[in-house]
Amino acid sequence: MDHEAAQLEKQHVHDVYESTARYLSDLQGKAWPRVRQFLQDQEPGSLIADIGCGTGKYLKVNSQVHSLGCDYCGPLVEIARSRGCEVMVCDNLNLPFRDQGFDAIISIGVIHHFSTKQRRIRAIKEMARVLVPGGQLMIYVWAMEQKNRHFEKQDVLVPWNRALCSRLLCESSQPGRRKPCGHLERSHPYHPPCSVCSCSVCFKERRDSKRSHSLDYEPVRARTCCANISKDAGEGNGFCNTLGKSFRSWFCSRSLDESSLRKQIERVRPLKNTDGWATSTISIQPSRHSSLDRDPQEPFSTREPSSDEDVFVESSQKHLEWLRAPAPGKHLRGDPQGETGRSGGGDGLGSARSPEEGAAAGALGEGKPSVRRPLRRISTVDSTDSIPDDTIPVEGQQPDVLDSRAFMRYYHVFREGELCGLLRENVSELHILSSGNDHGNWCIIAEKKETCG
Amino acid sequence: MKLLTHNLLSSHVRGVGPRGFPLRLEATEVRVIPVEFNPDFVARMIPKVEWAALLEAADHLRLAEVPKGPTQGYEQDETFLRKMHHVLLEVEVVEGTLQCPESGRVFPITRGIPNMLLNEEETQT
Repeated sequence: MDHEAAQLEKQHVHDVYESTARYLSDLQGKAWPRVRQFLQDQEPGSLIADIGCGTGKYLKVNSQVHSLGCDYCGPLVEIARSRGCEVMVCDNLNLPFRDQGFDAIISIGVIHHFSTKQRRIRAIKEMARVLVPGGQLMIYVWAMEQKNRHFEKQDVLVPWNRALCSRLLCESSQPGRRKPCGHLERSHPYHPPCSVCSCSVCFKERRDSKRSHSLDYEPVRARTCCANISKDAGEGNGFCNTLGKSFRSWFCSRSLDESSLRKQIERVRPLKNTDGWATSTISIQPSRHSSLDRDPQEPFSTREPSSDEDVFVESSQKHLEWLRAPAPGKHLRGDPQGETGRSGGGDGLGSARSPEEGAAAGALGEGKPSVRRPLRRISTVDSTDSIPDDTIPVEGQQPDVLDSRAFMRYYHVFREGELCGLLRENVSELHILSSGNDHGNWCIIAEKKETCG
Repeated sequence: MKLLTHNLLSSHVRGVGPRGFPLRLEATEVRVIPVEFNPDFVARMIPKVEWAALLEAADHLRLAEVPKGPTQGYEQDETFLRKMHHVLLEVEVVEGTLQCPESGRVFPITRGIPNMLLNEEETQT
């Protein structure tokens, strides 16, 4: 069981982050305010650990404390290191620390990547172990209950759609165009070649660059193009909101806590092998993920009817109406397999929003009707863009070219009360101080009890 | 990797437990990176330091002038605090290794980043 769990996580957490790190780094949203506050509330001179620190966005929030970042993903840690953070590569399940070393720990958007309950408990217990008595732990996990949408199941696979985000980046960086949010883009006289971008021009350049583990080349170029984007996102435009929407395509995965898991794992493969997918309990619509979320209000598109694997839930009539209405004057590229008559023939619009992606979105007031408009505009692809599912013309393709079908990330989204219940029943060394919901995440602050060792 | 970080690290090879601390530090590349001196900050760190582990690591890096322990009234002792500041925060191991004293397992430090991942076999409970 544990081996299968580890395999699932390797394939749908670790390998994905590893491959997407260089792109993710510039696209992550800003830090969650409540997490920042938690860090700033810590005593000066405290030792803090960020377990699952990613690119280290929380590591410099408070200059009066000493923060140590840890992540399983080497490339992400390298990025954090390049920003001057003290970081290391390690496993949440086996933290390489002596007992009771840290005054505070944060775990933001991490626990939901563990595929079994036991592993989630183990991860939390490990963090409790390395906390001093009286020390505090803050945990953020994705909530199953989202404001305008609904996960049908708790165990989901969320695709990474690089082509989506690269298209967004391209469009956003063109001078004079309106950005997704409707704000006028400031002009960029020079559009530097973007390593992330899938425009035909840029692709040539990208193809030429070698894959390397050095961050010198690619990320610099990515940053040039993307920097404006993430900066703009920080200013509250719709970009990250839009991007967050695109990431909300998701598919159901069977929980590894259920039986008959072995078959499940065998079928967990890059999606070229759609036959395998179709017969497994992981529901995938291959052609789906190319299109962008059309509207944050609308949870899911309907899919072609599939046997017993209808994972998407339509939660409103409004949604259906939207689906049937044609896109405003533009050809919908979402689905080459004949759904062109339908707008939004796109992917499931789950709200699998990670804290980092959702931060900006949340701050922008996710779910506001005004966001609808910009999304339609952005999803209209001009004819030079190819549908991501099609073979993007990248000859000599590096193994890490992000394909719209690959890089699905596993999440166990939490029900209300589940995280609290987990701690109460299984981690007696922690005492819950507070819990709540923050922009689609269940969060908890717990304290290490004094009497426990 | 700073020595303050090293001071927190312990081997988690299965079965090793507390005997996995401290990790034996060897370095092939060390750098000194200036860090702004904050006496209050350093003073607060002092009680958290495992001194024997710190001295052993500093010795392996052949650092000079490392205080052997907290002095009386160290909170106001600027000389002491500056030395500790230097040892804990300004010395960076860029390339090196960390070895579990019990199992002998070696963890690499590359570009300043320790990699503490174990194989599945090494961690199975």
